[in-house]
Amino acid sequence: MKLKLLFVTLIAMLGAAQVQAAKIRVVATLTDLADLTRNIGGDHVEVFSLATGIEDTHGVPMKPSFVPRLNHADLVVNVGFGCEHAFLPALLEASKNPRIQDGHPGYVDCSIGITPLEVPLSTDHSQGDVHPYGNPHYMLDPVLAKTAVQNIYNALVATAPEYEADFTRNRDTYLARLDAKIAGWQEAMKPLKGVKFVSYHEHWCYFAKRFDMDYIGTIELKPGVDPTPRHIEDLVNEMKVKHAQIVVREPQFPEKVPALIAKQTGATLVKLPIMPGGVPDTETYIDEMDYIVHSLVGAIEK
Amino acid sequence: MKLEIILGLSSALCLNAMIVQAQETNEVEQLKQQLSQMQENFEQNENKQRQEIEALQKKVDALQQNQTASQNVATAPTNTVTPEQLKELNDKVESVSEAQKKTLPGEFNPAIGFVGETVFSYRSKGSEATGSDRPGGFDVWQRSLEMVASAYVDPFAKGYAVINASADSATSEATLAVEEAALQTTSLPGNLELKAGRFFAEFGRLAYIHDHELPFVNRPLALDEYIGGESQSDGLQLNWLAPFPHYVSMTAGVGDHFGGDSPNPDHPGTFRAFDGLNFWGRFSSYWDLTPNWQLESGVSGLINPKTEDRGGALLQPNGVSTLTEKERRLAGFDVKFSYVPLQDNQFRSFNWGTEVLYSDNRYLSDPDGIPSNGDEFDKNVGSLGMYSYMNYKWSRQWSAGFLFDYVQSTQNHSDVTTDYSPFITFALSHWNQLRLQYTHTSHAAASGLKPDDAIYLQWAWIIGAHSHGWQQR
Repeated sequence: MKLKLLFVTLIAMLGAAQVQAAKIRVVATLTDLADLTRNIGGDHVEVFSLATGIEDTHGVPMKPSFVPRLNHADLVVNVGFGCEHAFLPALLEASKNPRIQDGHPGYVDCSIGITPLEVPLSTDHSQGDVHPYGNPHYMLDPVLAKTAVQNIYNALVATAPEYEADFTRNRDTYLARLDAKIAGWQEAMKPLKGVKFVSYHEHWCYFAKRFDMDYIGTIELKPGVDPTPRHIEDLVNEMKVKHAQIVVREPQFPEKVPALIAKQTGATLVKLPIMPGGVPDTETYIDEMDYIVHSLVGAIEK
Repeated sequence: MKLEIILGLSSALCLNAMIVQAQETNEVEQLKQQLSQMQENFEQNENKQRQEIEALQKKVDALQQNQTASQNVATAPTNTVTPEQLKELNDKVESVSEAQKKTLPGEFNPAIGFVGETVFSYRSKGSEATGSDRPGGFDVWQRSLEMVASAYVDPFAKGYAVINASADSATSEATLAVEEAALQTTSLPGNLELKAGRFFAEFGRLAYIHDHELPFVNRPLALDEYIGGESQSDGLQLNWLAPFPHYVSMTAGVGDHFGGDSPNPDHPGTFRAFDGLNFWGRFSSYWDLTPNWQLESGVSGLINPKTEDRGGALLQPNGVSTLTEKERRLAGFDVKFSYVPLQDNQFRSFNWGTEVLYSDNRYLSDPDGIPSNGDEFDKNVGSLGMYSYMNYKWSRQWSAGFLFDYVQSTQNHSDVTTDYSPFITFALSHWNQLRLQYTHTSHAAASGLKPDDAIYLQWAWIIGAHSHGWQQR
């Protein structure tokens, strides 16, 4: 009797393992892409995000514990435009998984179809840690996030065409929800039209364009290069002349300099996440965008 | 009469037939010409229409691409795109294309980068007292200029090379050397990766790191003494990633020599058996202690069963006896404990790394230094070395640390050298870094060397392509 029970348990465990194994294993580099993948893939995907949300998008630590995850992955979903250049290429090489290498079907570049902004005219480091293909922070524009949704959908359908109907339904449901939210965000952001602001890192050009804000500069001297006193002085003067109203600090960067600039210019300091999980209560992409919009609206109402 | 009539009619019939045939021939020719003309016209029209179709198709593709990039991607709207919108999109695409054209010349294939490193130093004693190959007093040394090139060879492998031009310690002239030039597979089954050529073999924690990537100015003494600088080898190395949820990496390799500064064991004209080669292996693993704290550890081993008298007969401090290396054995254990806060690791981090090495070489000892006179005997020398360092980063630009070195000579374990080195690093940017280090070195009396103090200022810079490799994590 005990033997029978053991046998049945073993069979059940094997069955459960097979059900688990049947899922598409997705590794997303950042939490926004992980959230989109979960929404489209539903029960057919098992998603792991390399970032937890509080990291800098360019500074996710290269942990060896990521390597087995990548080794077993069917898809690696990434932002593209060189956003993950500091950690993803080395992790992919260490993963020894040919399926997910750049150029293979398992490498899902979500930037496909997106027109980049701030494409540099030269790629030497006199411009800092410049992204040769353009600014990679398009996920902060919720309309462009729909292109990422479509790219993830395409990859999931190509990987598991048998679930296409489910993926299509999930995608359409999510996009309808996102469209409704976008309409709300655009309405809420109307008072911020033309409002001038600065941020620590150049995260916000797509967001500013979408919501007609005026993004006048960054606290960093150049991407990845700390500000000099002269640069801070110039930025403060420019903000005063242009009546900039908001200083955005991303949680990954120290507060001291942004707070000083806000104090000297009379602008409002706002801490904004750059991906879900960056601040509390922003576990999904929609939560994150909600938080950003409400924070900015709150800042301008002060 | 009848005959004449018959002949006449026949002739008339034949003539008529010929005329008719001639007329038919003309018609055929005309028809052929017409057909040829029509075919030509048809082909011209077909080509023209094909060109028009292709042009239209391109326009449709461009329009669809623009529509994909525009607002309503997934919902596929039925709205008509206005000419103004189309023009705006075309302008955008053109501006992006133009911008990308401008960046293309910088995207080398292979990717090429240069690393330069200059060391300014002051040492309190001359090289006769320190055993260094650099002079005492003030010294400026262009330690290296490395050119790094890498690219995919084909869908199955990538290749890379590191060419180093460094100043010769005696003449100060630049000498060019191939530090690494290897092929590395990218698609072997079974989680395997094969590397072949000249490369820095995977052994220990810092032996395969280039000088400018070390967290301090000088390579630890134990690595210089037991490995011979970097773990360079000409050989083959196979790495296997265990297919477990936990990270486990295993490496095995075989090579001609081991150690960048290790004496070359090649003896022209001799025959080297298989046991004349070097064999090494490494096992390493990793643990996330918390999301911010990490632990990585490994064990490594090296054996060269027949060292071909590596370095020749080594004269001992008494000036008479010699040791000739016959077998080389080295074992190591390393651990690295890191604090890498997820949120602001560009601004704060802490590392503590330690590596312990045990060398157990077998020598032929010759007390009187006169070869083959019968007094030689085998002698095993066991010696221990270690280094331990910590480095704390408190801003994106500033970090500081401390290095401690302890090493026993491979030929005499009572010949001990120790040093300690506080250092501070200022990184103007990721590609431009200054490091100031003070080092106090002490030697055991057996070495005949004197303690000395040194101050180093290292300036390292990077231009061109620069990748963050797995080994430099």
